[in-house]
Amino acid sequence: MLVEVVQTQTRDVLDVSGLVRRYGELTAVDGVSFHIRSGETYGLLGPNGAGKTTIISMVAGLIPAHGGTVRVAGRAMTPSKTEAKRIIGLVPQELAIYPDLTARENLKFFGRLQGLRGRELTRRTNEVLELIGLNDRAGDLTKKYSGGMKRRLNIGIGLLHRPTLLILDEPTVGVDPQSRNAILESVERLSVEGMAVLYTTHYMEEAERLCDRIAIIDEGRVQAEGTRDELITLTGGVDRINLRGGGSMSRAAEALRGLPAVQHVDNDGAGLILTVSDGPTALAGIVTGAGHAGMSVTSVEIVRPDLESVFLHLTGKALRD
Amino acid sequence: MSAIVAIATVELRRFLRDKSNLFFVFIFPLMLILLLGSQFGAGSGQPRVTIAGPGSTLTQALTAELESAGVDVTASGEDAARADLRRGRTDVGMFLDDADAAAFHAGRPAELAVVMASQSSAQAVLQQVRTAVQAVGLDRSQLAALTGAGIPEEQARPALDQAAAQVAAPTVQIVDTGDVVQEFRGLGKFDLGASQQLLLFVFLSSLTGAATLIQARRFGVVGRVMSAPVSSGQVVAGQALGRFAIAFVQGGFIMVGTALLFGVDWGNLWLSALVLVLFCAVSAAAAMMVGSVMDNDTAAAGVGVGAGLVLAGLGGCMVPPEFFPETLAAVSFATPHRWAYEALSAIQRHDGTLGDVLPELGVLAGMAAALLVLGAGLLRRSLNRAL
Repeated sequence: MLVEVVQTQTRDVLDVSGLVRRYGELTAVDGVSFHIRSGETYGLLGPNGAGKTTIISMVAGLIPAHGGTVRVAGRAMTPSKTEAKRIIGLVPQELAIYPDLTARENLKFFGRLQGLRGRELTRRTNEVLELIGLNDRAGDLTKKYSGGMKRRLNIGIGLLHRPTLLILDEPTVGVDPQSRNAILESVERLSVEGMAVLYTTHYMEEAERLCDRIAIIDEGRVQAEGTRDELITLTGGVDRINLRGGGSMSRAAEALRGLPAVQHVDNDGAGLILTVSDGPTALAGIVTGAGHAGMSVTSVEIVRPDLESVFLHLTGKALRD
Repeated sequence: MSAIVAIATVELRRFLRDKSNLFFVFIFPLMLILLLGSQFGAGSGQPRVTIAGPGSTLTQALTAELESAGVDVTASGEDAARADLRRGRTDVGMFLDDADAAAFHAGRPAELAVVMASQSSAQAVLQQVRTAVQAVGLDRSQLAALTGAGIPEEQARPALDQAAAQVAAPTVQIVDTGDVVQEFRGLGKFDLGASQQLLLFVFLSSLTGAATLIQARRFGVVGRVMSAPVSSGQVVAGQALGRFAIAFVQGGFIMVGTALLFGVDWGNLWLSALVLVLFCAVSAAAAMMVGSVMDNDTAAAGVGVGAGLVLAGLGGCMVPPEFFPETLAAVSFATPHRWAYEALSAIQRHDGTLGDVLPELGVLAGMAAALLVLGAGLLRRSLNRAL
């Protein structure tokens, strides 16, 4: 009931402004701002160590911010604001479940912490078990579950109290493709039902598939923000060419940087990733140049602009770095 | 409040769900109390005599005489009696046959076969057997003398009994002059071991159970709990209550179990329970400290076992502190075990009242309060570390 009242009072479910978090000399999050509306799925896309989980921790009220504000449904969020925490559901990156309890016991425990009681708790527990497809195994200890089942339960706990804002921190890490697809479908469904979702990932495909808007995060800063199409226009329509092979790749990289069509060259050890203004036209010159520089090219791939390209364009490095 | 209870309940449930815990927390202490009581408990040094042979008036007379002297007499077959002697299950074996029985009945001398076991206590028991045989022989000789003088046996027996009643038999009263012996006077066979093991295991299990606190941080559960509308104070209180519940369930089980199974006398139950409550609070707080300071659950369990055993030994839960040299006895008061031991001793052995054990209860309460404050602070820091 509280959640519904709050929803009608404000359009933005989450409003993050100028968020800063430091660890000693290191500024892990540096002036991050964004907002999420109800029914919107917002992605934080960035490599490991970019500061995504630190942002999530401040948004969920786990750690205090050293600067800036977080408002959830109009309420200030800090570690001591328990009322604001009622509105969010956190699905952490690690499997935050008790392995020596059953799925039902885990759900009931976390449900009690959310203030659910009696029949309401039992009803919500059963609904979530149905939703995550664990009804048949609800009485089994979770240490006997597969990785995918544990992941589903991990998400189910976050949904138990019907939060207005669901925060998913890399929910598909270490999950088999089938379970991963099931998780992505669930998130799509929740968004359709009107839930605001904050989704962090370093998988470009997930961000492209799920997120209405995306913030590209690197070194604790928002490098760019917008819809997928808005972000891709930032690249200026450039293509990406992946050259795979052996030989002297560093010399080849150096040589290719001199070509007029080539904007950027990244050596990832297994090959070269080039940002070029017109891939199909420039391809012949690039392959020839690489060969002259001592690289034996075994495969070539032209990739039209995507979020990976955007990230590369904005940060000068590949997303997986 | 409900969040605190939820956290405490889940901690208790997880503890009870661990099958290895069930053995070490509930079964093992009772086994140890049984073993220690049987071996070293009061009355465990009772002399034992096995009589092998046909049932006869000689057997009956010897049995009655030995039992009146406090000897535990067992009737047995010859082979079984020899086996008991070999294995030290009896101190002396008496092997009687029909000829012995007939000679006794006729008032004639008889030579009895007696075998002594190898344990050192058997020598003293053999002396008790000699005394009993002499007493039975004397009685029989007196009866034979009277019947030989023409007095019918049915008149001679009452006359001998009457004469015996008129003579005050010499008695030997052993007076313990040592404080230590006086201290343990009147204790049941399992009483001392039960109170010692109660304290040892409650503290030990609490410390080893601290590993679950570390696991909760490692699993990421702490982070998830803190994202719920729950304050860090509630989390700390829930964990403290959970540790306390674990300790109290085990302690209560040992008290009730030993009372029912071994007849352990805990004195005033309410007062003993109060001692247990305060000792559990100390144990819970100590567990919170271990679980907060350490980050490796396996190492924490090892530290828990080590620290639990050392403190229990120092606190008089292995060797009674009454046997400690003066310095060690003084040092032992640094442990909560010693204070709880003193309180339980007063209640069990001397019918101690609340007033009698108030100093011990006060010290335990003080220890619990100090450790709880420290443990809560450390736990709060460890929660932040986990996030």
